[in-house]
Amino acid sequence: MTSTGRLTASELKAQERAAKAAEKARQKRIAADEKAERKRAAKNGFSNPANPTRSIGLTVVCAIFAIYCLFPFAYLMINATKTQADFTSTFGMGFGKTFALWDNIVTVFTYQDGIFGRWFINTILYVVVGAGGATLLAIMGGYALAKFRFPGRNLCFAIIIGAISVPGIALAVPQFLLFAKLNLTNTPWSMIIPSLVSTFGLYLMWIFSDQAVPDELLEAARVDGAGEFRTFFQISLPLLAPGIVTTALFAIVATWNNYFLPLIMLKDSNWYPLTIGLNQWKDQASTAGGQAIQNLVITGSLITIIPLVISFLCLQKYWQSGLAAGAVKE
Amino acid sequence: MWPFAVVFIFVFIIPICYAIYISFFKKQMIGGTKFVALENYQRLLVDQQFWSSVGRVAIFTIFQVPVMLFLAAAMALALDSMKLHGTKFFRISTFLPYAVPAVVSTLIWGFVYGAKYGLVGSFNSFFGTHIDVLSPDVLLAAIANINTWEFTGYNMLIFYSSLSTIPHSLYEAASIDGASEWQIVKSIKLPELKGSLAITVIFSIIGSFQLFNEPSILQNMVPGNAITTYYTPNMYAYNLSFSGNQSNYAAALAIVMAIITMAIAYIVQLKSMKEQMK
Amino acid sequence: MRNTKKVIAATAAVATLVGLAACGNGSGDSNANKGDADKAELVFWGWDSGNSMKDIIAKFEKANPGITVKFNNTGTAEKTSTALSNAIAAGNGAPDVVMLEDPTVTQFAVTDGLVDLSEFGADKLADDFAAGPWNKLQYNSKPYALPIDSGPEMFFYNKAVFDKAGVDGESIKTWDDYYEAAKKIRATGSYITNLAGTSNDYQPFTAQIWQAGAQPWKVDGEKITINMTKDEGMQRYIKFVQKLIDEDLVDTKTPNWSDDWNRELNDGTIASLTIGAWMPINLMTGAPDQAGNWRVAQLPQWEEGQEVSAEDGGSALAVVKLSKNQAAAYKFVEYMTHGDGAQVMADTGTFPSLKKILASDSFTDPTTEANKKTNDYFGGQNVNEVLSEAAQRPTEKFQYLPYNPFAQSSYGDEVSKAYTGDITLEQALENYGKKLAEQGEQQGYTVTVK
Repeated sequence: MTSTGRLTASELKAQERAAKAAEKARQKRIAADEKAERKRAAKNGFSNPANPTRSIGLTVVCAIFAIYCLFPFAYLMINATKTQADFTSTFGMGFGKTFALWDNIVTVFTYQDGIFGRWFINTILYVVVGAGGATLLAIMGGYALAKFRFPGRNLCFAIIIGAISVPGIALAVPQFLLFAKLNLTNTPWSMIIPSLVSTFGLYLMWIFSDQAVPDELLEAARVDGAGEFRTFFQISLPLLAPGIVTTALFAIVATWNNYFLPLIMLKDSNWYPLTIGLNQWKDQASTAGGQAIQNLVITGSLITIIPLVISFLCLQKYWQSGLAAGAVKE
Repeated sequence: MWPFAVVFIFVFIIPICYAIYISFFKKQMIGGTKFVALENYQRLLVDQQFWSSVGRVAIFTIFQVPVMLFLAAAMALALDSMKLHGTKFFRISTFLPYAVPAVVSTLIWGFVYGAKYGLVGSFNSFFGTHIDVLSPDVLLAAIANINTWEFTGYNMLIFYSSLSTIPHSLYEAASIDGASEWQIVKSIKLPELKGSLAITVIFSIIGSFQLFNEPSILQNMVPGNAITTYYTPNMYAYNLSFSGNQSNYAAALAIVMAIITMAIAYIVQLKSMKEQMK
Repeated sequence: MRNTKKVIAATAAVATLVGLAACGNGSGDSNANKGDADKAELVFWGWDSGNSMKDIIAKFEKANPGITVKFNNTGTAEKTSTALSNAIAAGNGAPDVVMLEDPTVTQFAVTDGLVDLSEFGADKLADDFAAGPWNKLQYNSKPYALPIDSGPEMFFYNKAVFDKAGVDGESIKTWDDYYEAAKKIRATGSYITNLAGTSNDYQPFTAQIWQAGAQPWKVDGEKITINMTKDEGMQRYIKFVQKLIDEDLVDTKTPNWSDDWNRELNDGTIASLTIGAWMPINLMTGAPDQAGNWRVAQLPQWEEGQEVSAEDGGSALAVVKLSKNQAAAYKFVEYMTHGDGAQVMADTGTFPSLKKILASDSFTDPTTEANKKTNDYFGGQNVNEVLSEAAQRPTEKFQYLPYNPFAQSSYGDEVSKAYTGDITLEQALENYGKKLAEQGEQQGYTVTVK
């Protein structure tokens, strides 16, 4: 943290006022320019990035890609409506003889004394604490790496890349031994602590901090006497919003879908996340003497995806490019 | 920085040190654990199963990563151009596959690929063809398709969010100068993508060298056991460690894999990435 | 400054781990861990295919007020044994009682992970259990686990398909009869069965060679002899199966337990299975369209007039050596396998291994709800009567390798090549034998390959 402390409070205020006035004038100018530009572009038939003409051709191409992305979901949805008997006997992309979606949903939540609900709550706990923490740590770490010079920065980079190049599967056993030694296996901590590290998030934040936050802006703020924390929260944070959202989303999905780690760490089904629980149900069909419940697995998978879709929809407004642009003008 | 470092050391560095440590030992059912120095590494050098699995993921990487990243970048540019009808719909539809757990997506694609009861089967009986995407020759491509499906949206999002940090004033300035859409893409957007491209390339390479989930779930669905227990290095390590009681050898394998992966990532991209982060 | 701290912290932690590795094996005096037989909090790992554990445990706790049992559903047999070996390696977090698939018991017995149950008098129970499951759980002639269920190999067939091909399933007594039937069934477009040589087929494979009297491996202390292709029983098996493959009489493309497998059982493409006696419930949920068509019969024999059985699957309960409550844990194991719990298990669809239950009237009583449901699916046949007979047939001596999980996973790698037609079954099995020998040497055994 640095603090210049050379300017008195009143001087600072005066400066601020002057800056605000100048900024207002500038914005007016920009708005006028934009207006004129839009007019001119419309007249000349030039494309205008602020308000482009929509292209049908491009939409069609993207639509083909969207079909590729979405048709497996059709499979999931169709099969969620089938009974177990229909699942094995009817064609995969066609509906079954009975429409059992509601029955399936009810059974998913009541099967084995409603353990699915417990798994659901566990997963949310892991995501909120684990992914939330991971995002926070990644922001702090990435920002620090990008914006502060300290010796060994390149070394950090090499170490992290090296560490994630080690196949995770080989690390599972040592990780398990370490956690067992600390009596953390079979507790939520064994899930949450490893989730706190999102190396990818760290890099993302590193790059974003580098690109989206101009050093000049930080210099200016520092000269103005703003502390590092204030600079970070008032200037950098808004600029980083799209990156933060991306990092958060990745951390959420990664934690939500984490499979291998809980498989090793947790043996108490009361602490299972959804992935392990669903897989246990799937395995039941291939266990000697076990009952096949693929209808529940499919319906459960569908239910598992829904919260991720909702969180995506909630977060997506942060990607609108206007946000970053607006911040720069400040 | 330090909170990240603490957790990182706890979760990664210590286990890695331990893995290196045990890679110099050998645990046997008869005779217990003994120090064997580099024996595990020597054995690895001449282990054909290991090298065949490395070759397989290398081929996989060469083809899958460029295709996936090209699709992701193209889609990000298309979304960012604001020339699409229903941008929001396309944004979520591209991303959605990433939200599906690997277990479920492999299950779904397993059905699609099924030559008897799956979609490919229906296609065959309808057109009288004999396509079998799970035959050993094209199996790797079939797995690559699953991975592309899963991770295009993921990479798209990285590109897209990096594009959305470009200040609009830049575009305005460009269009005042009379730059065409293509020129904007070429001289503003593509350079902006460079930074995120470097990181996506490295992470994609690492990801595909650690290929595990998709082949191991497909294993039971593929006829003729075309997916062996040493199909990818990670699967080999897993089987050595968990069904072969050779976790020391598996640790040595993991270390060697890490070195190979790092070397390749370095050759391909590290330099440009370092420049990016100077 | 900050870096120095990091280094110190890392070094300290590594040192802890190293220390942990060094002392991980000290299992100590087992007598100290017997604990109070009437008072304990037990942790029990296993799977629960019949959804019956909760009720049984409640009953046990009622009968033994001082003991509580916490059941953790660990999913599959494979996941359970992986988790157990991890916990044993960590020396911490292991359960008191564990459910294991029979073939993996030896592995944990060899590595000193389980308690020799003869300490608690389990060796005296030998005659109460069917011979097949009991024999598999002995190591150095001591029981290391008690069987909770068993799986005598049976011949399940789809009568509708057999009728169409003009084959009477009841009249198939030998593998030669089976071969003739296979030809007729193939002519109708179906297959008599599927054989793909994947690791999922390993257990039926061991059952079949076991029945053929084969001894592909012999374990004698620290010595292992592998005789995969020259053994007489193996020769018999190889010739027979090779004929089925060559003449396209078996479906070599569908592995057991795959989605396709269920569908082919359901639409009649696969007309019969030789598999464990626990199969009825899997058939009922996996092939619902064939309700009323399936039947069960005794396994075909290698020689006419023989009555040899073999085991496919089956699981057992063992007491973990790390447990501090071994006496109470054994009490629970005894209750589940030999005591009142065994009856409840049997009532909820587990195939019993206790002679008393196998021979009891209630087991074969066609009027009980569970039996009625099964018998309806099997066209009114009294299923348990057939199964019970098989369970009481004699079995040959058969021994699993101490590194059975490896034997199972590498079976798929090597033997499947014979089913794709790349090499002959004899060659594939020879390669497989070499793999097993290599693994044995890696594990410190002295291996001879014949």
